[in-house]
Amino acid sequence: MAIADVKEYTHLSPEEVEELGRELDQIRADIEESRNSDDAAYINRMITIQRRLATAGRITLFASKWKPAFFAGAAMLGVAKILENMEIGHNVMHGQWDWMNDPEIHSSTWDWDTAQPAEQWKHSHNYVHHQFTNVLGHDNDIGYGILRMAREQKWNVFNLGQPIYNALLASLFQWGVALHDLDIESIRKMEKDPEVMKKQLKQIGVKVRRQVGKDYIFFPLLTGPAAIQTAKANALANLTRNLWSYMIIFCGHFPDGALHFSEEEIEDETRAEWYLRQMLGSANFTGSRTLHIMSGNLGYQIEHHLFPDLPSNRYEEISNRVRPLCEKYGVPYTTGPLHRQYGQALRTIMKLSLPNKFTKPARHDSADSVEVPRGRKKDSERPTRRTETGTWTSRASA
Amino acid sequence: MIDQPRTGIGELPFASMGDLGLDKKRVTQCALSRICGVCAQSLDRPVAFVGSGEELERNAFHFPPTHRACAEHALEHWAPSWSASLGHPSQPESWVMVTTSGFEFVRQNADAADRRPVFSPNSILEEKRTPALRST
Ligand SMILES: [Zn+2]
Repeated sequence: MAIADVKEYTHLSPEEVEELGRELDQIRADIEESRNSDDAAYINRMITIQRRLATAGRITLFASKWKPAFFAGAAMLGVAKILENMEIGHNVMHGQWDWMNDPEIHSSTWDWDTAQPAEQWKHSHNYVHHQFTNVLGHDNDIGYGILRMAREQKWNVFNLGQPIYNALLASLFQWGVALHDLDIESIRKMEKDPEVMKKQLKQIGVKVRRQVGKDYIFFPLLTGPAAIQTAKANALANLTRNLWSYMIIFCGHFPDGALHFSEEEIEDETRAEWYLRQMLGSANFTGSRTLHIMSGNLGYQIEHHLFPDLPSNRYEEISNRVRPLCEKYGVPYTTGPLHRQYGQALRTIMKLSLPNKFTKPARHDSADSVEVPRGRKKDSERPTRRTETGTWTSRASA
Repeated sequence: MIDQPRTGIGELPFASMGDLGLDKKRVTQCALSRICGVCAQSLDRPVAFVGSGEELERNAFHFPPTHRACAEHALEHWAPSWSASLGHPSQPESWVMVTTSGFEFVRQNADAADRRPVFSPNSILEEKRTPALRST
């Protein structure tokens, strides 16, 4: 099925799709032209707040033998890590702030406070996930290689354990992400280029040593007699960050209404078609300004996927223009409160732990006939040439 | 998996298919993974672009971002005699190298004659023009 056959917008003629594309181009151009010192002040303020919180947390933990200080320190550090990973690191590494010409706040120099090396994140996230968004067999973020998230993915008895793997993935999220680009399945099948594997393992080793050294050796020892308590508080801060970032990320593409696509070809997708796929594959959530900042503005996942390299502080403004456009063209704009969006993602995880015959497809699902093989594609296997027989097949998640 | 095992500069730029022009898939990979179009390693700051004077005027480069040193290597080794390998079917009037802190990655619309994506530097730091050396 071609992208033009996806039922959510079969009512759009190719001209209308291109017209919608032009309207989105205009939004992009307006934001690019209006980026200014207020935006720069925003990200600098975020970095300042984040650093003060981290420092305050680390200082508070000198008293970590005292329960209230233990929890206050862990909370401040947890919030600092969330801010650093979500609103700062993720967005800086997308190049959202490169235009400022600030040597420190740049996609090529930023390394974030989590175990995954920045270079591997830029490959697995910026490229594979953002280019092949929700394309089964290509976007490795669909279930992170552990969870079955779409009915088209072949069921295996291993999937019965999904509720447990999900809990483990959530609590150990930073380590799951750290190993994400390594692609353990290809190593197991002996298909991995040894040179690449060596390079990646070395990067991960360096990063893990630094993260573990910082949170479980250096800062704890600095607090002297409180070392053990400080290490525990740091673990709590990391756990908080893991659970939070896992939840926000799972709300981006797995709530009901976010479509999955099954391959063929995307290289010749026009800009307008690319915009459409990004909009249909993503889901927003609603909430306060603070909630959005703590989520790295990924509550505006649709806007982020349309314009991954525009400054995150502008996504709210962009959404005020994208939503009416969706209404005008009759394109779904999936959103809802955070708890509902996560609830739907969680329901899919539970439901798809069972074979398809035991569960009912959701409203958006089409037939269960298409099955996508397990395992990942290598970069060299990603599609290059357009075939005349079509591009996308749309299947909704369960 | 990262399709970038090499550690130095090869016979061909990473993003190139030689006489066939640019490898579109790798151009996108360079753009989004923020790796160099010549050596495939992570970019540095500033980012360099190599192209024709005309591309500079339109602020739309076809060859993906590179390291500054890799851009110089491209201008020296491929530009004079093998413009196709840098995405130019014929030798341009002049070659340029610009450095910038950031860039926009622009996919093409259906009505574009040339459907290759382009790069628009958005914070240019330095600009170097060289007359094209024509090899006969
Ligand atoms: Zn290079």
